[in-house]
Amino acid sequence: MAAAETLAVDARGLTKTFRGGWLGRRRTEALRGASLAVPRGAIMGLLGPNGAGKTTLLSILATLLIPDGGTARILGLDVVKQAREVRRRLNMTSGNTSFVWSLRPPEVLEFYGRLYGFQGRALRIRVEALIELCELGPHRKTQYNELSTGLKQRLAFAKSLLNDPEVLFLDEPTLGLDPDVSVRIRAQVARLRRERGTTIILTTHYMREAEELCDEIAFIKGGRILAQGPSDALKRQIRIGEVIALKLDPAEPAGFADLAGVLDVRRHGDTVEATVDAVEKRLPEILRWLHDQGVVVRDCRVHEPDLEEVFVELAR
Amino acid sequence: MSSLAEQSAGLRPVDGLRAEWTRTWAFAHRNLVMARRNVFFVFELAFWPGVAMLSHGLLTRFLELTPQMTAFILAGTVALSTVQVCQLDVAYVVLFDIWSKSMKHQFLTPTEIRHLAVGSWLVGVGRGVVVFALMAAIGSSFFGFDFLGAGPLSLALFLFGCFLCSLIIGLCVCALVVLFGTRAETSAWATVNLLVMLSGIYYPVSVLPGWAQTVSAAIPLTYFLDYFRTGYGFPAAFAHPLAAGFGLAALYLALAHWAFAAAITRSRRTGLLLKLSE
Repeated sequence: MAAAETLAVDARGLTKTFRGGWLGRRRTEALRGASLAVPRGAIMGLLGPNGAGKTTLLSILATLLIPDGGTARILGLDVVKQAREVRRRLNMTSGNTSFVWSLRPPEVLEFYGRLYGFQGRALRIRVEALIELCELGPHRKTQYNELSTGLKQRLAFAKSLLNDPEVLFLDEPTLGLDPDVSVRIRAQVARLRRERGTTIILTTHYMREAEELCDEIAFIKGGRILAQGPSDALKRQIRIGEVIALKLDPAEPAGFADLAGVLDVRRHGDTVEATVDAVEKRLPEILRWLHDQGVVVRDCRVHEPDLEEVFVELAR
Repeated sequence: MSSLAEQSAGLRPVDGLRAEWTRTWAFAHRNLVMARRNVFFVFELAFWPGVAMLSHGLLTRFLELTPQMTAFILAGTVALSTVQVCQLDVAYVVLFDIWSKSMKHQFLTPTEIRHLAVGSWLVGVGRGVVVFALMAAIGSSFFGFDFLGAGPLSLALFLFGCFLCSLIIGLCVCALVVLFGTRAETSAWATVNLLVMLSGIYYPVSVLPGWAQTVSAAIPLTYFLDYFRTGYGFPAAFAHPLAAGFGLAALYLALAHWAFAAAITRSRRTGLLLKLSE
């Protein structure tokens, strides 16, 4: 099957340098050959430290920036040459979204809804559905600049659904929100994919959010995608491994660290922590070996590394 | 989400001419809502034009000008105020987003320059007509100036010419703001004053220095003022002023549209479009 049919986002070798200062002498390389492939209907988490190039990459994909080099296709359409058609089919929101100060939530949605070509009854129904969905009903008479941060975020999220986008970019959508609002937005993102088949690219600093929502994670640093794949595969790829914590008697039998699949052994008090490549395979082998050595196992716990550890490892 | 899916099933955006009008109306409607909510707009619509008409009218009284000369001066006063108010509406279509840091959202949609230009211009024309009506009322009530003295068709063509100039100036201001950011926003108020000064607002262009006359001959408003004043008995300074005015306006409109489009493209390239939204 052609890439255009299976991939919602297909970016290859994107480069972008921003110039500033006198005569543009100060140069900042935001992207240095970033490539990203996102299957249709997937939720992709784009993670990376501050200044890694996340927002630049999303902005290029959303047609807000023109890349210096490389190519990017959304649903098979070139983001530079077919930008207008791309814009019909995607939408975007970010954690620092802002709208015209004295418009009320329905007016904001009506304005952008009209820009997407909705009018009359279709526009009214769509706006009302989004107001209801994002629980903005009690605030329909409040001007934008009087809304709380959480309500502004919800309005931004509602705006991003106006054109029923096939591809949705969420740039830190829960930044600075109360936990309950974040939970609700995450639930809506999950439902969007489940019920509408929307392809979503999400940038976030919250690892739990990425782990909870995303089918795949892409790590970006220094303008390059360093790793991409399901979070479990990434953990294996960078050999963070899983940790088996054991309380043994004797405390640390000789030869333990040389067992197959044991990546690292550390001792913390009376506990030995063995990092292994695949816990399902290694745990029975280790327990068998310990039994053969006559070692008594007083306690055994398995700790899976979370995405944060992967992030820290890759961000080094 | 299911409620959204159910309720919006079968609801599709319109296309063709209806889509053109829908997108155009979006900008017109937003300008109207903003105008209704901002007390500052009352000043633009009534206070400054009213003050200008009264002060210039009183000046003509003090100088004991003939009715013909009074018409000459007050025609310039009307031109300045209508052009200023109308071009501000066009500039506001970008300035509202600059001030509220929401610039990127409208450029994320399948909107074209013509939608925001025409939409905001239509509101500008409406506000310009209100300004004209107010000034006409003051002029005729206090200074005996008959704005229909040159005939209704002349007046309509003159006002239409002024509004076209407003659209051109507004688009240029939009281009400057998108190109240079908030540093350029003062151009929304400054540009029109410079242009009307060069187009013979309160005097014939013949009093300008030679080089300035060359510049004024390149400004469409010069011709519209010249045409309107011939209706009050002043000799035309240019042959075929209407044709020259509308011809130049069409040319500049195309150039201004191109300049704005180029500015947006450059802004997408430099990243300013994003910076204006942060």
